[in-house]
Amino acid sequence: MVVGMEESQRILKLAVAMGEVLLKSGGEIYRVQETVERILEAYGIDDYHVFVVSNGIFATIHEDREDRGSMVRNVPLGSLHLGRIAQVNQLSREICSHNCTVEEAGERLRACQQEDDIGWVKKVLAGGMGSSAFSYLYGGRGAECVVAFFLGMLLMMFVQAAEKGNVSKFIINIIGSAMVTVISFGLSAAGLLLMADKAVIGGIIPLVPGVALTTSIRELFNGDYLSGSIHLADALMTATCIAVGVGAAVRVFQLFGWAGL
Amino acid sequence: MYIAGQLIAAMLGTLAFVIIFHAPKNEYMFCALNGVLGWLAYLIFMEWGAGVTIASLGATLILTLVARVLSAIRRCPATIFLVTGIFTLVPGAGIYYTAYYLLMNDLALCTAKGIETFKVAGAIVLGIVFGFAVPQSWFNQLGRKEKHVGK
Repeated sequence: MVVGMEESQRILKLAVAMGEVLLKSGGEIYRVQETVERILEAYGIDDYHVFVVSNGIFATIHEDREDRGSMVRNVPLGSLHLGRIAQVNQLSREICSHNCTVEEAGERLRACQQEDDIGWVKKVLAGGMGSSAFSYLYGGRGAECVVAFFLGMLLMMFVQAAEKGNVSKFIINIIGSAMVTVISFGLSAAGLLLMADKAVIGGIIPLVPGVALTTSIRELFNGDYLSGSIHLADALMTATCIAVGVGAAVRVFQLFGWAGL
Repeated sequence: MYIAGQLIAAMLGTLAFVIIFHAPKNEYMFCALNGVLGWLAYLIFMEWGAGVTIASLGATLILTLVARVLSAIRRCPATIFLVTGIFTLVPGAGIYYTAYYLLMNDLALCTAKGIETFKVAGAIVLGIVFGFAVPQSWFNQLGRKEKHVGK
């Protein structure tokens, strides 16, 4: 199928833009690659090369023809947005069954990118709910769960404020986990808590790198060693930072002679 | 009573991550269901005396398979159900205790907890890998209502 020069550029742009949204929202590498390829194919471009890693997309089309095109996108590791993954997936499905023109698809892609965050307050409340639920799962009871609830809320507020100020992720993890530990050990020293450890475990749950771990495993076993290593390094660094934050706080309390709480 | 409390906590814990990670609103309950099933499987394996590592392996395997079934039924990427459900099994407590005992200079307990954390992480790895080793065609029949294009 012969497509005009401008047309092929537009298709390439759309395909890569969709891949970019997927990658930024935390889609798996094979999904991003497959989506870009399927969209190019669906619009009649059959000579293409697509290369995707955790933080970049490279694509060329029609290398031997007049209307050749190429695109490179640098995509920094973003925060997970499952809704967007589902929407782009749905959109790509419709494109593949030829229900959607390039313009419509571009329009819908913009719409789904603009769809707003669920909002600060809800995120903070969710953090609190998660922390107290996990504190309970790990053996915390009444007081620990209540404390973990407020710790989780506090942590989410801190994380969101810090992200807005472009603070490094490592610093967020270290300070966040230290903050949680200091507060629950402090309450414990004041005699309000029986099991400070359960409150801490619940409190730090929003920082735990569950997603990075899961993604990296799946990528490594798909043969995407480069992307898998990037995410694995991310997971290990996050875990180390949490350990450092907790450790530093425990050490401070130890120095003041409140050890063994 | 104990089981009910545990399952409700697992549901709320999963829901928290569902909200934080912006899962699609229609899938909230299915994500939570997956988290609850994963934790239930973990509790059953523990009750049966399987040990933390094997329990994590089995629970992750079940969680992954359920995520794929839900993905076929709901026609939504499996990641959405997997990533949110897995938080109950990720060794967050292990990270804490390892750091705590290291700083308390209790090296025996620190090593024990550290190795346990790595074993659990490894078990989760294997569970996910085995779960995705099952061919996709087994799940495709579940979502046959529409023409199936793409994963």
